[in-house]
Amino acid sequence: MEMLNFLKDNPYLIAFDNIETINNANIAIKDNHLTFNKGNEFFVFLDNFDKFNSLNFTIKKEQDIKIYLITYQSRKIEIDYNFELQEKANLKIFTNFSSRRKTFLNANLKFTLAKNAKLTVLSALTFNGEVKLNETVNLNGLNATVDIDLLNVGGKTSKYYVNQDVFHNEKATISNIDNWLIATDQAKLAYSVSGSIQKGKEFSKCRQSNKGIMLSDSCEIMVEPKLFIDEYNVEASHGAAIGQMDELQLYYLLSRGLTENDARSLIISGYINPFISLIDNKEIATQLTSQISRLIRRKAYNE
Amino acid sequence: MTLEIKDLYVSIEDNLILKGLNLTVNGGETHAIMGPNGTGKSTLAQICMGHPSYKIESGDILLDGESIIEKTVDERSRLGLFLAMQNPIEVPGVTNFDFVKAAIQTRMKKDEHLRIGRFILKFEKASEDLKMGKGLAHRFLNQGFSGGEKKRNEILQMKMLNPRFAFLDEIDSGLDVDALKLVGQNVTELKSPELGLILITHYQRLLDYIIPDYVHIMINGKIVMTGKEELINRIDQEGYDWVKKELGIEDLETKPYSLGTCPSKH
Repeated sequence: MEMLNFLKDNPYLIAFDNIETINNANIAIKDNHLTFNKGNEFFVFLDNFDKFNSLNFTIKKEQDIKIYLITYQSRKIEIDYNFELQEKANLKIFTNFSSRRKTFLNANLKFTLAKNAKLTVLSALTFNGEVKLNETVNLNGLNATVDIDLLNVGGKTSKYYVNQDVFHNEKATISNIDNWLIATDQAKLAYSVSGSIQKGKEFSKCRQSNKGIMLSDSCEIMVEPKLFIDEYNVEASHGAAIGQMDELQLYYLLSRGLTENDARSLIISGYINPFISLIDNKEIATQLTSQISRLIRRKAYNE
Repeated sequence: MTLEIKDLYVSIEDNLILKGLNLTVNGGETHAIMGPNGTGKSTLAQICMGHPSYKIESGDILLDGESIIEKTVDERSRLGLFLAMQNPIEVPGVTNFDFVKAAIQTRMKKDEHLRIGRFILKFEKASEDLKMGKGLAHRFLNQGFSGGEKKRNEILQMKMLNPRFAFLDEIDSGLDVDALKLVGQNVTELKSPELGLILITHYQRLLDYIIPDYVHIMINGKIVMTGKEELINRIDQEGYDWVKKELGIEDLETKPYSLGTCPSKH
Protein backbone atom coordinates (compact mmCIF):
# COMPACT_ATOMS: atom_id res chain seq x y z
CA MET A 1 0.00 0.00 0.00
CA GLU A 2 1.39 3.38 -0.99
CA MET A 3 0.60 5.41 2.11
CA LEU A 4 0.87 9.16 2.63
CA ASN A 5 3.81 9.69 4.98
CA PHE A 6 1.99 11.63 7.65
CA LEU A 7 -0.65 8.92 7.94
CA LYS A 8 1.67 5.94 8.33
CA ASP A 9 1.81 5.78 12.13
CA ASN A 10 -1.46 7.52 12.81
CA PRO A 11 -3.28 5.74 15.66
CA TYR A 12 -6.63 6.55 14.06
CA LEU A 13 -5.81 5.21 10.61
CA ILE A 14 -8.02 2.77 8.76
CA ALA A 15 -6.49 1.86 5.40
CA PHE A 16 -7.51 -0.46 2.62
CA ASP A 17 -6.20 -1.78 -0.60
CA ASN A 18 -7.43 -4.90 -2.32
CA ILE A 19 -4.95 -7.06 -0.40
CA GLU A 20 -4.62 -5.73 3.11
CA THR A 21 -6.55 -3.76 5.73
CA ILE A 22 -4.93 -1.64 8.43
CA ASN A 23 -7.13 -0.85 11.40
CA ASN A 24 -5.03 1.18 13.84
CA ALA A 25 -8.21 2.82 15.09
CA ASN A 26 -9.70 -0.49 16.18
CA ILE A 27 -13.14 0.21 14.87
CA ALA A 28 -15.61 -2.55 14.01
CA ILE A 29 -15.02 -3.68 10.43
CA LYS A 30 -17.03 -6.52 8.94
CA ASP A 31 -16.44 -7.10 5.25
CA ASN A 32 -17.29 -3.75 3.70
CA HIS A 33 -19.04 -2.31 6.74
CA LEU A 34 -17.38 0.11 9.17
CA THR A 35 -19.17 1.00 12.39
CA PHE A 36 -18.15 4.00 14.47
CA ASN A 37 -19.48 3.79 17.99
CA LYS A 38 -16.99 6.03 19.76
CA GLY A 39 -16.24 9.63 19.02
CA ASN A 40 -12.92 10.64 17.52
CA GLU A 41 -11.02 11.77 14.44
CA PHE A 42 -10.45 8.98 11.93
CA PHE A 43 -8.39 8.78 8.75
CA VAL A 44 -9.74 6.41 6.11
CA PHE A 45 -7.20 5.87 3.34
CA LEU A 46 -7.97 3.84 0.23
CA ASP A 47 -5.32 2.86 -2.28
CA ASN A 48 -6.71 1.59 -5.60
CA PHE A 49 -9.49 0.00 -3.57
CA ASP A 50 -12.41 -1.68 -5.31
CA LYS A 51 -12.48 -5.06 -3.64
CA PHE A 52 -16.13 -4.40 -2.84
CA ASN A 53 -18.68 -2.44 -4.86
CA SER A 54 -19.37 -0.31 -1.83
CA LEU A 55 -18.06 0.76 1.55
CA ASN A 56 -20.67 1.31 4.22
CA PHE A 57 -20.19 3.56 7.22
CA THR A 58 -22.50 3.65 10.22
CA ILE A 59 -22.25 6.46 12.73
CA LYS A 60 -24.00 5.31 15.84
CA LYS A 61 -26.53 7.31 17.83
CA GLU A 62 -25.16 10.47 19.49
CA GLN A 63 -21.62 9.90 18.21
CA ASP A 64 -19.55 12.93 17.22
CA ILE A 65 -17.06 11.82 14.57
CA LYS A 66 -14.63 13.36 12.10
CA ILE A 67 -13.58 11.30 9.13
CA TYR A 68 -10.92 12.19 6.59
CA LEU A 69 -11.60 10.01 3.55
CA ILE A 70 -8.60 10.11 1.25
CA THR A 71 -8.34 7.95 -1.81
CA TYR A 72 -5.56 7.48 -4.32
CA GLN A 73 -5.85 5.58 -7.56
CA SER A 74 -3.79 4.86 -10.62
CA ARG A 75 -6.45 2.93 -12.53
CA LYS A 76 -10.19 3.12 -13.17
CA ILE A 77 -12.25 2.79 -9.98
CA GLU A 78 -16.01 2.51 -9.52
CA ILE A 79 -17.27 2.48 -5.95
CA ASP A 80 -20.17 3.54 -3.72
CA TYR A 81 -19.82 5.04 -0.26
CA ASN A 82 -22.88 4.83 1.98
CA PHE A 83 -23.08 6.72 5.26
CA GLU A 84 -25.81 6.14 7.79
CA LEU A 85 -26.08 8.75 10.54
CA GLN A 86 -28.24 7.57 13.36
CA GLU A 87 -30.24 9.81 15.68
CA LYS A 88 -28.25 12.82 16.97
CA ALA A 89 -25.09 11.58 15.25
CA ASN A 90 -22.70 14.33 14.16
CA LEU A 91 -20.35 13.58 11.28
CA LYS A 92 -17.84 15.97 9.78
CA ILE A 93 -16.32 14.34 6.73
CA PHE A 94 -13.56 15.55 4.45
CA THR A 95 -13.17 13.77 1.13
CA ASN A 96 -10.32 14.02 -1.33
CA PHE A 97 -10.27 11.71 -4.33
CA SER A 98 -6.83 11.86 -5.93
CA SER A 99 -5.22 10.17 -8.89
CA ARG A 100 -1.58 9.34 -9.44
CA ARG A 101 -2.04 9.48 -13.18
CA LYS A 102 -4.79 10.35 -15.61
CA THR A 103 -7.61 7.91 -14.96
CA PHE A 104 -11.33 7.54 -14.24
CA LEU A 105 -13.41 7.60 -11.06
CA ASN A 106 -17.09 6.83 -10.76
CA ALA A 107 -18.17 7.35 -7.15
CA ASN A 108 -21.54 7.56 -5.46
CA LEU A 109 -21.65 9.09 -2.00
CA LYS A 110 -24.94 8.52 -0.27
CA PHE A 111 -25.76 9.97 3.14
CA THR A 112 -28.84 9.09 5.16
CA LEU A 113 -29.62 11.17 8.22
CA ALA A 114 -31.96 10.28 11.05
CA LYS A 115 -33.66 12.68 13.48
CA ASN A 116 -31.43 15.52 14.76
CA ALA A 117 -28.40 14.17 12.91
CA LYS A 118 -25.88 16.69 11.62
CA LEU A 119 -23.61 16.21 8.62
CA THR A 120 -20.82 18.49 7.44
CA VAL A 121 -19.17 17.56 4.15
CA LEU A 122 -15.97 19.12 2.85
CA SER A 123 -15.25 17.77 -0.61
CA ALA A 124 -12.02 18.56 -2.41
CA LEU A 125 -11.69 17.55 -6.04
CA THR A 126 -8.31 17.91 -7.73
CA PHE A 127 -8.46 14.70 -9.73
CA ASN A 128 -6.41 14.18 -12.86
CA GLY A 129 -8.65 12.50 -15.43
CA GLU A 130 -12.40 12.06 -15.45
CA VAL A 131 -14.70 12.03 -12.43
CA LYS A 132 -18.34 11.11 -12.21
CA LEU A 133 -19.47 11.91 -8.71
CA ASN A 134 -22.96 11.66 -7.28
CA GLU A 135 -23.53 13.09 -3.82
CA THR A 136 -26.97 12.21 -2.49
CA VAL A 137 -28.25 13.32 0.89
CA ASN A 138 -31.48 12.01 2.36
CA LEU A 139 -32.65 14.09 5.30
CA ASN A 140 -35.00 11.49 6.73
CA GLY A 141 -35.33 12.67 10.32
CA LEU A 142 -36.82 15.77 11.90
CA ASN A 143 -34.25 18.59 12.26
CA ALA A 144 -31.60 16.73 10.28
CA THR A 145 -29.02 19.17 8.89
CA VAL A 146 -26.42 19.02 6.17
CA ASP A 147 -23.73 21.57 5.21
CA ILE A 148 -21.75 20.83 2.07
CA ASP A 149 -18.71 22.81 0.97
CA LEU A 150 -17.07 21.65 -2.21
CA LEU A 151 -13.89 22.95 -3.81
CA ASN A 152 -13.13 21.70 -7.32
CA VAL A 153 -9.93 22.80 -8.99
CA GLY A 154 -9.76 21.40 -12.49
CA GLY A 155 -6.72 21.59 -14.71
CA LYS A 156 -5.25 20.04 -17.87
CA THR A 157 -7.94 18.08 -19.75
CA SER A 158 -9.73 16.81 -16.65
CA LYS A 159 -13.48 16.42 -16.73
CA TYR A 160 -15.81 16.48 -13.74
CA TYR A 161 -19.47 15.52 -13.88
CA VAL A 162 -20.96 16.10 -10.45
CA ASN A 163 -24.55 15.63 -9.29
CA GLN A 164 -25.54 16.84 -5.86
CA ASP A 165 -29.06 15.97 -4.73
CA VAL A 166 -30.52 16.80 -1.35
CA PHE A 167 -33.91 15.36 -0.43
CA HIS A 168 -35.78 16.95 2.45
CA ASN A 169 -37.86 13.95 3.43
CA GLU A 170 -38.91 15.24 6.84
CA LYS A 171 -40.04 18.49 8.41
CA ALA A 172 -37.64 21.18 9.66
CA THR A 173 -34.67 19.79 7.80
CA ILE A 174 -31.88 22.11 6.68
CA SER A 175 -29.42 21.94 3.80
CA ASN A 176 -26.70 24.34 2.72
CA ILE A 177 -24.48 23.80 -0.30
CA ASP A 178 -21.54 26.03 -1.22
CA ASN A 179 -19.59 25.05 -4.32
CA TRP A 180 -16.36 26.79 -5.28
CA LEU A 181 -15.28 25.89 -8.79
CA ILE A 182 -12.02 26.83 -10.47
CA ALA A 183 -11.13 25.74 -13.98
CA THR A 184 -8.00 26.24 -16.03
CA ASP A 185 -6.36 24.75 -19.15
CA GLN A 186 -8.98 22.69 -20.99
CA ALA A 187 -10.74 21.42 -17.88
CA LYS A 188 -14.49 20.93 -17.92
CA LEU A 189 -16.63 21.13 -14.78
CA ALA A 190 -20.31 20.24 -15.14
CA TYR A 191 -22.51 20.44 -12.06
CA SER A 192 -26.12 19.62 -11.45
CA VAL A 193 -27.17 20.77 -7.98
CA SER A 194 -30.68 20.13 -6.76
CA GLY A 195 -32.71 20.47 -3.59
CA SER A 196 -36.12 18.82 -3.16
CA ILE A 197 -38.64 19.58 -0.47
CA GLN A 198 -41.64 17.32 -0.52
CA LYS A 199 -45.18 18.35 0.30
CA GLY A 200 -45.80 18.55 4.03
CA LYS A 201 -42.12 18.93 4.93
CA GLU A 202 -42.72 22.43 6.24
CA PHE A 203 -40.20 24.64 8.09
CA SER A 204 -37.41 23.18 5.98
CA LYS A 205 -34.60 25.35 4.62
CA CYS A 206 -32.71 24.62 1.44
CA ARG A 207 -29.94 26.88 0.18
CA GLN A 208 -27.30 26.48 -2.48
CA SER A 209 -24.61 28.78 -3.82
CA ASN A 210 -22.30 28.07 -6.76
CA LYS A 211 -19.36 30.28 -7.61
CA GLY A 212 -16.98 29.63 -10.45
CA ILE A 213 -13.94 31.27 -11.91
CA MET A 214 -12.48 30.42 -15.29
CA LEU A 215 -8.77 31.04 -15.71
CA SER A 216 -8.36 30.17 -19.36
CA ASP A 217 -10.29 30.68 -22.57
CA SER A 218 -10.62 26.96 -23.24
CA CYS A 219 -11.96 25.76 -19.92
CA GLU A 220 -15.66 25.30 -19.15
CA ILE A 221 -17.79 25.53 -16.05
CA MET A 222 -21.47 24.67 -16.26
CA VAL A 223 -23.80 24.71 -13.30
CA GLU A 224 -27.48 23.86 -13.18
CA PRO A 225 -28.89 24.89 -9.83
CA LYS A 226 -32.33 23.42 -9.29
CA LEU A 227 -34.99 23.56 -6.61
CA PHE A 228 -38.00 21.26 -6.51
CA ILE A 229 -40.33 22.67 -3.87
CA ASP A 230 -43.78 21.23 -3.17
CA GLU A 231 -44.50 23.03 0.10
CA TYR A 232 -45.27 26.67 0.86
CA ASN A 233 -43.93 27.08 4.36
CA VAL A 234 -40.22 26.70 3.60
CA GLU A 235 -37.16 28.81 2.80
CA ALA A 236 -35.25 28.06 -0.36
CA SER A 237 -32.69 29.85 -2.48
CA HIS A 238 -30.18 29.01 -5.15
CA GLY A 239 -27.76 30.79 -7.41
CA ALA A 240 -24.75 30.48 -9.65
CA ALA A 241 -22.14 33.10 -10.51
CA ILE A 242 -19.62 31.92 -13.05
CA GLY A 243 -17.20 34.10 -14.91
CA GLN A 244 -13.69 35.17 -15.56
CA MET A 245 -11.69 37.07 -13.05
CA ASP A 246 -13.35 40.25 -11.82
CA GLU A 247 -11.55 43.10 -13.58
CA LEU A 248 -12.48 45.57 -10.85
CA GLN A 249 -10.91 43.39 -8.18
CA LEU A 250 -7.83 43.05 -10.35
CA TYR A 251 -7.56 46.82 -10.86
CA TYR A 252 -7.91 47.42 -7.12
CA LEU A 253 -5.06 45.05 -6.31
CA LEU A 254 -2.89 46.43 -9.12
CA SER A 255 -3.46 49.94 -7.81
CA ARG A 256 -1.69 48.87 -4.63
CA GLY A 257 1.36 47.73 -6.55
CA LEU A 258 0.80 43.99 -6.86
CA THR A 259 1.99 42.65 -10.19
CA GLU A 260 -0.74 41.26 -12.43
CA ASN A 261 0.39 37.70 -11.74
CA ASP A 262 0.47 38.24 -7.97
CA ALA A 263 -2.90 39.98 -8.05
CA ARG A 264 -4.50 37.12 -9.99
CA SER A 265 -2.96 34.56 -7.61
CA LEU A 266 -4.28 36.45 -4.61
CA ILE A 267 -7.80 36.62 -6.04
CA ILE A 268 -7.69 32.87 -6.71
CA SER A 269 -6.45 32.24 -3.19
CA GLY A 270 -9.55 34.11 -2.08
CA TYR A 271 -11.59 31.31 -3.62
CA ILE A 272 -9.48 28.57 -2.09
CA ASN A 273 -8.51 29.79 1.39
CA PRO A 274 -11.99 29.91 2.93
CA PHE A 275 -12.38 26.21 2.06
CA ILE A 276 -8.92 25.28 3.32
CA SER A 277 -9.62 27.10 6.59
CA LEU A 278 -12.54 24.74 7.24
CA ILE A 279 -10.17 21.74 7.38
CA ASP A 280 -9.25 21.16 11.01
CA ASN A 281 -6.26 18.90 10.36
CA LYS A 282 -3.23 20.95 9.40
CA GLU A 283 -1.40 18.16 7.56
CA ILE A 284 -4.45 17.42 5.41
CA ALA A 285 -4.88 21.14 4.73
CA THR A 286 -1.21 21.48 3.75
CA GLN A 287 -1.42 18.43 1.49
CA LEU A 288 -4.47 19.84 -0.30
CA THR A 289 -2.87 23.28 -0.64
CA SER A 290 0.17 21.79 -2.34
CA GLN A 291 -2.04 19.68 -4.64
CA ILE A 292 -3.89 22.82 -5.71
CA SER A 293 -0.69 24.84 -6.08
CA ARG A 294 0.69 22.24 -8.47
CA LEU A 295 -2.46 22.49 -10.56
CA ILE A 296 -2.75 26.23 -10.85
CA ARG A 297 0.83 27.39 -10.43
CA ARG A 298 1.60 29.80 -13.23
CA LYS A 299 -1.98 29.33 -14.44
CA ALA A 300 -3.26 32.42 -12.72
CA TYR A 301 -2.48 34.46 -15.77
CA ASN A 302 -5.34 34.37 -18.23
CA GLU A 303 -3.80 32.44 -21.11
CA MET B 1 9.35 65.68 -6.08
CA THR B 2 6.66 66.76 -8.54
CA LEU B 3 3.57 65.40 -10.21
CA GLU B 4 2.70 67.38 -13.33
CA ILE B 5 -0.43 66.98 -15.39
CA LYS B 6 0.04 68.75 -18.69
CA ASP B 7 -2.75 69.78 -21.04
CA LEU B 8 -4.48 66.45 -20.50
CA TYR B 9 -7.38 65.35 -22.71
CA VAL B 10 -9.06 62.11 -21.61
CA SER B 11 -12.05 60.25 -23.01
CA ILE B 12 -14.15 57.23 -22.20
CA GLU B 13 -16.43 55.61 -24.76
CA ASP B 14 -16.04 58.61 -27.11
CA ASN B 15 -17.01 61.05 -24.33
CA LEU B 16 -14.32 63.63 -23.81
CA ILE B 17 -14.13 64.11 -20.05
CA LEU B 18 -10.90 66.00 -19.37
CA LYS B 19 -10.32 68.87 -21.77
CA GLY B 20 -6.91 70.36 -21.35
CA LEU B 21 -6.30 69.94 -17.64
CA ASN B 22 -3.14 71.35 -16.10
CA LEU B 23 -2.03 70.77 -12.53
CA THR B 24 1.30 70.67 -10.74
CA VAL B 25 1.63 69.17 -7.28
CA ASN B 26 4.90 69.35 -5.39
CA GLY B 27 5.96 67.21 -2.44
CA GLY B 28 4.56 68.59 0.79
CA GLU B 29 1.64 70.37 -0.91
CA THR B 30 -2.04 69.64 -0.40
CA HIS B 31 -4.38 70.46 -3.26
CA ALA B 32 -8.16 70.33 -3.02
CA ILE B 33 -10.14 69.83 -6.20
CA MET B 34 -13.77 70.80 -6.03
CA GLY B 35 -16.43 71.02 -8.65
CA PRO B 36 -19.95 70.04 -9.66
CA ASN B 37 -20.88 66.40 -10.31
CA GLY B 38 -19.71 64.89 -13.60
CA THR B 39 -17.01 67.42 -14.20
CA GLY B 40 -14.16 64.91 -14.35
CA LYS B 41 -12.65 65.01 -10.85
CA SER B 42 -12.67 61.24 -10.37
CA THR B 43 -11.55 60.76 -13.97
CA LEU B 44 -8.44 62.78 -13.15
CA ALA B 45 -7.63 60.50 -10.21
CA GLN B 46 -8.35 57.32 -12.17
CA ILE B 47 -6.34 58.30 -15.24
CA CYS B 48 -3.35 59.18 -13.08
CA MET B 49 -3.62 55.71 -11.52
CA GLY B 50 -3.93 54.13 -14.98
CA HIS B 51 -7.53 52.85 -15.04
CA PRO B 52 -7.75 50.88 -18.31
CA SER B 53 -11.23 52.14 -19.25
CA TYR B 54 -10.00 55.70 -19.81
CA LYS B 55 -8.07 56.82 -22.88
CA ILE B 56 -5.58 59.67 -23.00
CA GLU B 57 -6.23 61.61 -26.21
CA SER B 58 -3.35 64.03 -25.69
CA GLY B 59 -1.25 65.58 -22.98
CA ASP B 60 1.01 63.97 -20.43
CA ILE B 61 1.41 63.00 -16.79
CA LEU B 62 4.92 63.46 -15.46
CA LEU B 63 6.34 62.14 -12.24
CA ASP B 64 9.59 63.89 -11.37
CA GLY B 65 9.83 64.99 -14.97
CA GLU B 66 9.29 61.54 -16.50
CA SER B 67 6.14 60.53 -18.34
CA ILE B 68 4.20 57.72 -16.67
CA ILE B 69 1.38 57.36 -19.20
CA GLU B 70 2.93 54.21 -20.66
CA LYS B 71 3.36 52.67 -17.21
CA THR B 72 0.97 49.96 -15.98
CA VAL B 73 -1.25 50.47 -12.94
CA ASP B 74 1.01 48.47 -10.64
CA GLU B 75 4.13 50.21 -11.90
CA ARG B 76 2.56 53.59 -11.12
CA SER B 77 1.70 52.37 -7.64
CA ARG B 78 5.24 51.19 -7.03
CA LEU B 79 6.51 54.54 -8.29
CA GLY B 80 4.60 56.12 -5.43
CA LEU B 81 1.09 56.94 -6.67
CA PHE B 82 -1.87 56.03 -4.51
CA LEU B 83 -5.61 56.35 -5.04
CA ALA B 84 -8.00 56.10 -2.12
CA MET B 85 -11.06 55.09 -4.11
CA GLN B 86 -14.53 56.50 -3.91
CA ASN B 87 -15.92 52.94 -4.00
CA PRO B 88 -13.31 50.54 -2.62
CA ILE B 89 -13.67 47.09 -4.16
CA GLU B 90 -14.55 43.99 -2.14
CA VAL B 91 -12.26 40.99 -2.60
CA PRO B 92 -13.81 37.95 -0.87
CA GLY B 93 -11.50 35.38 0.65
CA VAL B 94 -8.45 37.66 0.69
CA THR B 95 -7.62 38.95 4.15
CA ASN B 96 -6.56 42.54 4.74
CA PHE B 97 -3.36 41.23 6.27
CA ASP B 98 -2.36 39.12 3.25
CA PHE B 99 -3.28 41.92 0.87
CA VAL B 100 -1.30 44.67 2.59
CA LYS B 101 1.61 42.31 3.17
CA ALA B 102 1.68 41.44 -0.54
CA ALA B 103 1.48 45.13 -1.45
CA ILE B 104 4.46 45.93 0.77
CA GLN B 105 6.49 42.94 -0.40
CA THR B 106 6.03 43.96 -4.00
CA ARG B 107 7.80 47.25 -3.18
CA MET B 108 10.81 45.52 -1.66
CA LYS B 109 14.09 44.90 -3.41
CA LYS B 110 14.95 41.34 -4.39
CA ASP B 111 17.40 40.83 -1.54
CA GLU B 112 15.12 42.47 1.05
CA HIS B 113 12.93 40.46 3.41
CA LEU B 114 9.80 41.61 5.18
CA ARG B 115 10.33 41.85 8.92
CA ILE B 116 7.03 40.33 9.86
CA GLY B 117 7.05 41.39 13.52
CA ARG B 118 7.62 44.99 12.61
CA PHE B 119 4.96 44.75 9.90
CA ILE B 120 2.39 43.37 12.34
CA LEU B 121 3.09 46.14 14.85
CA LYS B 122 2.74 48.79 12.16
CA PHE B 123 -0.49 47.26 10.88
CA GLU B 124 -1.96 47.05 14.37
CA LYS B 125 -0.96 50.64 15.12
CA ALA B 126 -2.56 51.90 11.88
CA SER B 127 -5.67 49.87 12.61
CA GLU B 128 -5.85 51.30 16.12
CA ASP B 129 -5.27 54.86 14.86
CA LEU B 130 -8.24 54.47 12.54
CA LYS B 131 -10.36 52.63 15.12
CA MET B 132 -10.78 49.66 12.80
CA GLY B 133 -11.00 47.05 15.54
CA LYS B 134 -8.61 44.24 16.39
CA GLY B 135 -9.98 41.69 13.95
CA LEU B 136 -9.27 43.78 10.87
CA ALA B 137 -6.21 41.81 9.78
CA HIS B 138 -8.25 38.63 9.38
CA ARG B 139 -11.32 40.18 7.80
CA PHE B 140 -11.71 39.75 4.07
CA LEU B 141 -10.75 42.82 2.07
CA ASN B 142 -13.64 45.31 2.30
CA GLN B 143 -16.18 42.48 2.40
CA GLY B 144 -19.01 43.24 4.80
CA PHE B 145 -17.43 46.60 5.66
CA SER B 146 -19.68 49.58 6.25
CA GLY B 147 -19.17 52.59 3.95
CA GLY B 148 -17.16 54.32 6.65
CA GLU B 149 -15.00 51.27 7.33
CA LYS B 150 -14.15 50.99 3.64
CA LYS B 151 -12.98 54.60 3.57
CA ARG B 152 -10.92 54.19 6.73
CA ASN B 153 -9.40 51.05 5.28
CA GLU B 154 -8.22 53.06 2.29
CA ILE B 155 -6.41 55.44 4.63
CA LEU B 156 -4.96 52.49 6.52
CA GLN B 157 -3.49 51.17 3.27
CA MET B 158 -2.12 54.62 2.52
CA LYS B 159 -0.43 54.72 5.93
CA MET B 160 1.10 51.30 5.34
CA LEU B 161 2.30 51.96 1.79
CA ASN B 162 3.81 55.44 2.26
CA PRO B 163 2.97 56.84 -1.20
CA ARG B 164 4.62 59.93 -2.66
CA PHE B 165 1.43 61.32 -4.23
CA ALA B 166 -2.00 60.33 -3.01
CA PHE B 167 -5.38 61.07 -4.55
CA LEU B 168 -8.20 60.88 -2.01
CA ASP B 169 -11.37 60.60 -4.07
CA GLU B 170 -14.37 61.69 -2.00
CA ILE B 171 -12.89 60.05 1.04
CA ASP B 172 -15.43 62.01 3.11
CA SER B 173 -18.53 60.43 1.58
CA GLY B 174 -20.14 57.86 3.85
CA LEU B 175 -18.30 59.10 6.93
CA ASP B 176 -20.08 60.38 10.01
CA VAL B 177 -18.73 63.44 11.83
CA ASP B 178 -16.49 61.47 14.19
CA ALA B 179 -15.11 59.24 11.45
CA LEU B 180 -14.47 62.28 9.25
CA LYS B 181 -12.50 63.91 12.03
CA LEU B 182 -10.53 60.69 12.57
CA VAL B 183 -9.71 60.34 8.87
CA GLY B 184 -8.80 64.02 8.70
CA GLN B 185 -6.44 63.69 11.65
CA ASN B 186 -4.79 60.58 10.24
CA VAL B 187 -4.25 62.12 6.83
CA THR B 188 -2.93 65.34 8.37
CA GLU B 189 -0.45 63.32 10.44
CA LEU B 190 0.88 61.87 7.19
CA LYS B 191 1.61 65.27 5.71
CA SER B 192 5.31 65.70 5.03
CA PRO B 193 7.60 67.08 2.34
CA GLU B 194 7.63 63.50 0.99
CA LEU B 195 3.89 63.43 0.28
CA GLY B 196 1.80 65.39 -2.18
CA LEU B 197 -1.95 65.19 -1.51
CA ILE B 198 -4.79 65.71 -3.96
CA LEU B 199 -8.17 65.81 -2.22
CA ILE B 200 -11.27 65.44 -4.34
CA THR B 201 -14.33 66.56 -2.46
CA HIS B 202 -17.69 68.26 -2.69
CA TYR B 203 -17.76 69.60 0.81
CA GLN B 204 -16.00 72.06 3.03
CA ARG B 205 -16.23 69.74 6.03
CA LEU B 206 -13.28 67.54 4.93
CA LEU B 207 -11.17 70.62 4.38
CA ASP B 208 -11.82 71.70 7.98
CA TYR B 209 -9.65 68.77 9.02
CA ILE B 210 -7.16 68.59 6.14
CA ILE B 211 -6.15 72.13 5.36
CA PRO B 212 -5.27 72.54 1.68
CA ASP B 213 -2.55 74.81 0.34
CA TYR B 214 -4.43 75.29 -2.92
CA VAL B 215 -8.07 74.97 -3.90
CA HIS B 216 -8.96 74.30 -7.53
CA ILE B 217 -12.38 74.51 -9.08
CA MET B 218 -12.93 72.11 -11.92
CA ILE B 219 -15.74 72.57 -14.42
CA ASN B 220 -16.27 70.87 -17.77
CA GLY B 221 -13.06 68.86 -17.61
CA LYS B 222 -10.55 71.50 -16.65
CA ILE B 223 -9.42 73.61 -13.76
CA VAL B 224 -11.04 77.00 -14.19
CA MET B 225 -10.08 78.74 -10.99
CA THR B 226 -7.39 78.33 -8.33
CA GLY B 227 -7.30 80.00 -4.97
CA LYS B 228 -7.02 79.34 -1.28
CA GLU B 229 -9.39 79.01 1.68
CA GLU B 230 -11.60 81.89 0.57
CA LEU B 231 -12.75 79.77 -2.39
CA ILE B 232 -13.93 76.95 -0.10
CA ASN B 233 -16.07 79.29 1.95
CA ARG B 234 -17.66 80.89 -1.07
CA ILE B 235 -18.41 77.53 -2.72
CA ASP B 236 -19.91 76.31 0.52
CA GLN B 237 -22.20 79.32 0.68
CA GLU B 238 -23.01 79.93 -2.98
CA GLY B 239 -22.26 76.74 -4.91
CA TYR B 240 -20.64 76.93 -8.36
CA ASP B 241 -23.06 79.12 -10.29
CA TRP B 242 -21.11 82.28 -9.55
CA VAL B 243 -17.96 80.69 -11.00
CA LYS B 244 -19.76 79.76 -14.19
CA LYS B 245 -21.30 83.24 -14.40
CA GLU B 246 -18.04 85.01 -13.69
CA LEU B 247 -16.14 82.97 -16.28
CA GLY B 248 -18.96 82.70 -18.81
CA ILE B 249 -19.10 78.90 -18.66
CA GLU B 250 -22.14 77.18 -20.08
CA ASP B 251 -23.35 73.77 -18.85
CA LEU B 252 -22.66 71.00 -21.35
CA GLU B 253 -24.80 67.97 -21.94
CA THR B 254 -22.87 64.77 -21.30
CA LYS B 255 -23.74 61.33 -22.54
CA PRO B 256 -23.85 58.54 -19.95
CA TYR B 257 -20.86 56.19 -20.03
CA SER B 258 -19.91 52.94 -18.40
CA LEU B 259 -16.68 51.92 -16.73
CA GLY B 260 -17.27 48.40 -18.00
CA THR B 261 -19.11 45.49 -16.55
CA CYS B 262 -18.18 43.30 -13.68
CA PRO B 263 -17.95 39.76 -15.08
CA SER B 264 -19.03 38.06 -11.86
CA LYS B 265 -21.14 39.24 -8.99
CA HIS B 266 -20.57 38.09 -5.42
